[in-house]
Amino acid sequence: MTTTTLNHDEAHHHDMPTGWRRWLFSTNHKDIGTLYLLFALTMLFLGGASAMLIRLELFQPGIQLLDPDLYNNLVTNHALIMIFGAVMPAAAGLANWMIPMMIGAPDMALPRMNNLSFWILPAAATMLILSFVVPFFPGGGTQINTGWTLYPPLSVQVGMSMDFLIFAIHLLGISSVLASINIIVTLLNMRAPGMTLMTMPMFCWTWLVTAFLLILVVPVLAGGVTMLLFDRHFGTSFFDAAGGGDPVLFQHLFWFFGHPEVYILLLPSIGVLSHVIPAFSRKPLFGYKSMVGAMLTVATIGMVVWAHHQYTVGMSLGAVTYFMIGTILISIPVGLMIFNFIATMWRGAMTFETPMLFAVAIILMFTFGGLSGVMLAVVPADMQYHDSMFVVAHFHYVLMPGAVFGLFAGVFYWLPKWTGHMYDETLGKIFFWTNVIGFNITFFPQHFLGLAGMPRRIVDYNMMFTEFNVISSVGAIIFGLSHLLLLYIVIKTIRGGKKAESRAWEGAKGLEWELDSPPAFHTWTVAPQIK
Amino acid sequence: MRIPKYQTPELRNKNVRLAWVLGGMAIFFLVTSFPFWTGLFRIVGTQAMP
Amino acid sequence: MSVTEQLIQNQSYKLKATSLTGIAVAGLFFADKCKAEYGINFPPPAADVAQEIYNIHMLTMQIATVLLLIVFGFVFYSLYYHRKSRGFEADQNFHNSWFGNWSWVVVPVMVLGVDLTIAGKADAVLKKVWDVPKEENILDVKVTGHQWWWEFDYLDHDIKVESRYVPEKDSGDLYLREVDNRLVLPTGQKIRFLHTSADVLHAFWVPELAVKKDAIPGYVTETWAELNREGVFRGQCAELCGTWHSRMPIVVESVSPQQFAAWVDDQKAIKVAAAAEASADKTWSMDELMAKGKTLYETKCGACHQVTGLGLPPAFPALKGSAMVTGPIEAHLEIVIKGKEGTAMQPWGSLNDLEIAAIVTYERNAWDNNSGDVVQPSDVKQAR
Repeated sequence: MTTTTLNHDEAHHHDMPTGWRRWLFSTNHKDIGTLYLLFALTMLFLGGASAMLIRLELFQPGIQLLDPDLYNNLVTNHALIMIFGAVMPAAAGLANWMIPMMIGAPDMALPRMNNLSFWILPAAATMLILSFVVPFFPGGGTQINTGWTLYPPLSVQVGMSMDFLIFAIHLLGISSVLASINIIVTLLNMRAPGMTLMTMPMFCWTWLVTAFLLILVVPVLAGGVTMLLFDRHFGTSFFDAAGGGDPVLFQHLFWFFGHPEVYILLLPSIGVLSHVIPAFSRKPLFGYKSMVGAMLTVATIGMVVWAHHQYTVGMSLGAVTYFMIGTILISIPVGLMIFNFIATMWRGAMTFETPMLFAVAIILMFTFGGLSGVMLAVVPADMQYHDSMFVVAHFHYVLMPGAVFGLFAGVFYWLPKWTGHMYDETLGKIFFWTNVIGFNITFFPQHFLGLAGMPRRIVDYNMMFTEFNVISSVGAIIFGLSHLLLLYIVIKTIRGGKKAESRAWEGAKGLEWELDSPPAFHTWTVAPQIK
Repeated sequence: MRIPKYQTPELRNKNVRLAWVLGGMAIFFLVTSFPFWTGLFRIVGTQAMP
Repeated sequence: MSVTEQLIQNQSYKLKATSLTGIAVAGLFFADKCKAEYGINFPPPAADVAQEIYNIHMLTMQIATVLLLIVFGFVFYSLYYHRKSRGFEADQNFHNSWFGNWSWVVVPVMVLGVDLTIAGKADAVLKKVWDVPKEENILDVKVTGHQWWWEFDYLDHDIKVESRYVPEKDSGDLYLREVDNRLVLPTGQKIRFLHTSADVLHAFWVPELAVKKDAIPGYVTETWAELNREGVFRGQCAELCGTWHSRMPIVVESVSPQQFAAWVDDQKAIKVAAAAEASADKTWSMDELMAKGKTLYETKCGACHQVTGLGLPPAFPALKGSAMVTGPIEAHLEIVIKGKEGTAMQPWGSLNDLEIAAIVTYERNAWDNNSGDVVQPSDVKQAR
């Protein structure tokens, strides 16, 4: 391993720019990490606001608040903003902050590209928001009413806002591919001497796998939406049966990206859990090797089971049987991960600070979402569940605990490290309970709605679905508003609070806890020696 | 955009080389996404009849 | 493995809707009320295969419930006993025990056992669902999705049914679950559904039949069902198809074979009468065409262009005062017959000459358009 030899004095302090230049021209992994996290927080509120509007509309039968196209537009934007705007940048923010500190590297391997991959994001977000608002201007065409899956031929009917969306997806894709390249290079080339792949922290492993997944699947989505663009404007007919194409091809391309995307959202949070649970159980992670193996298996199987999102398109018996069995088999590595987490808690000496509370909630609720996923994998039964509210309930149970709560856990866990202040534990616990209870009130009843026959993505519904929709909407208000508390806690912690020690948590292990809280602008300028 | 000189030239070359390999991989997947996946999709086969 | 199988064996004999509440801690709270009025589970199946699907659903759900309880049990035990506040000392060598070394084999094998149980049961049902019978006397129904209505063609009887949602004032409590013309199907006969679409993707879903299949423009997909009881079964379009996706109910009326035969005869008689009327070599008066046109417009065009003629711009342009509708008759006829590519405006050429003449006449004279034009069926014939 190449080690870095440099002048110790030079690396410190002298080149920390000030004012807006510090952020716009930043090549510092900590500053870029902060930017990512702030961006994600902003988008979380934007996506959350659209979700609240959706739930308000569904509060009662009838069309009260939103016209149908605006409703569908919000459904589309909620998904895209949350996935590409909130969860992925937040995970990238954690990666930027933590990976160099965890592996004892002075910075990311390609700092200038790091700057680029963040600063593409605001441009992409602008395009994404424009795709939402353009129809409200004269000559803006129709609204995007396709849902985030953008299935043609419906997406060919949509006006120019679809073109904005396609370019937004391109930009978002470029940003995440660049970030992934950077993370892979950092992890492979910049580890401190003595740290091997099999001894690096689990969060690094999860991001290594995630980054590879991103590089493999995001270009396929870009290809798919590019074909869509050509179909819309340049007379090709990739997805038009009248011209010899096939609308289902787009679905295959989309879900070839879309299914691994689920693991892209999930794995970084699994990485966070692999640090939080051992820290608060005061004992090492159970089954490091089997975690790595399970993760690689999930990523591999996850790449080849995409068509379980399209059981109803009329595939051959052989094809659906294959996709069904493949999908059910994913429960093996995922089950092993959950098992390892429980085994880490087992016979530990647990305390329950906010990150640990989130971790426990994730284990329980993600198991629940995973099990309803096994139900959905079964093709005959999926003939019933498909595109019903049951699916909505399922993927929120997977993605909220699996991805978002994991990020919350990570933020609370490392906030003392980043800011140098302890967050307010009481407020953190209040946030946890309102958030988790609100979440369950919102999404649990949707299982019943789906089974009783309510399709997803409908703006108006029959009276028979009223009761559970009311419960769900009330829950959504609690759930949505609880995030204001998160904002307050974060701001309060940045501004002040009890001084955090280097090792902010009693059981925390790892190189990042050897550094000061907050860490110096440049850290590990001399690589630590790993025994 | 000043970057502290913490990377030796060798390390930097190594990093940039790996980045290009990965970037090439991404571009490869982009370019092949159309013909490759169309073909695979046909193999997967549908019971749909034109 | 054997424990799991025993569990499954025991459970599968008592497949009851109420066991859903097993998962549902919150659900228990509402259970009594819900069972009576609002569904919390699939409605009772109306076909044998649907019953098998229902059983698979209940089986997987019960397995899931058991596994969930096991996980919850371990987690809560650990949360209670392995706390620092109870003075529990962390066992730093737990992962080095025999269990720690071999659990990565034990756990996947156990999960695999559960997986294979589920997959095995599902596979048998899957074959039945997927193999559409190729019998002589099967009833073929072509189901065509349109934005935003369903068309059912009884290919063996040469009958076509157009099925649209009924506005709230006429459907009351069944709003969004009721249609003007139901899909009438006989019991005791195998029915093959051939799904396709005229414009964008739709999906045919009636929970009692456990049939869901996407309607894809340019392609035909198949499903089948054999109804085993009479009744009215309601479903909805299950694939986002644009603005009025919520207004695409499907209502299946399952009747005895005798009633079905009588219904077929009725439909044929109605069709013959309509054809006779349309082909009658008659010049229609403005009033007649306007009266016909109003009804036709409101059912077929009103969803997009609105009964008021104001449309929902920009997706659906207003017809009131529109250049197309007040301009030359030929262009107007052409867009109605051939549709407009790249928009939601679909071709309406399948309507007969009289119907198109009535609609066009109505559009040119309603809502103060007052052009005074009367379009005769013969003009439509010429324009085709």
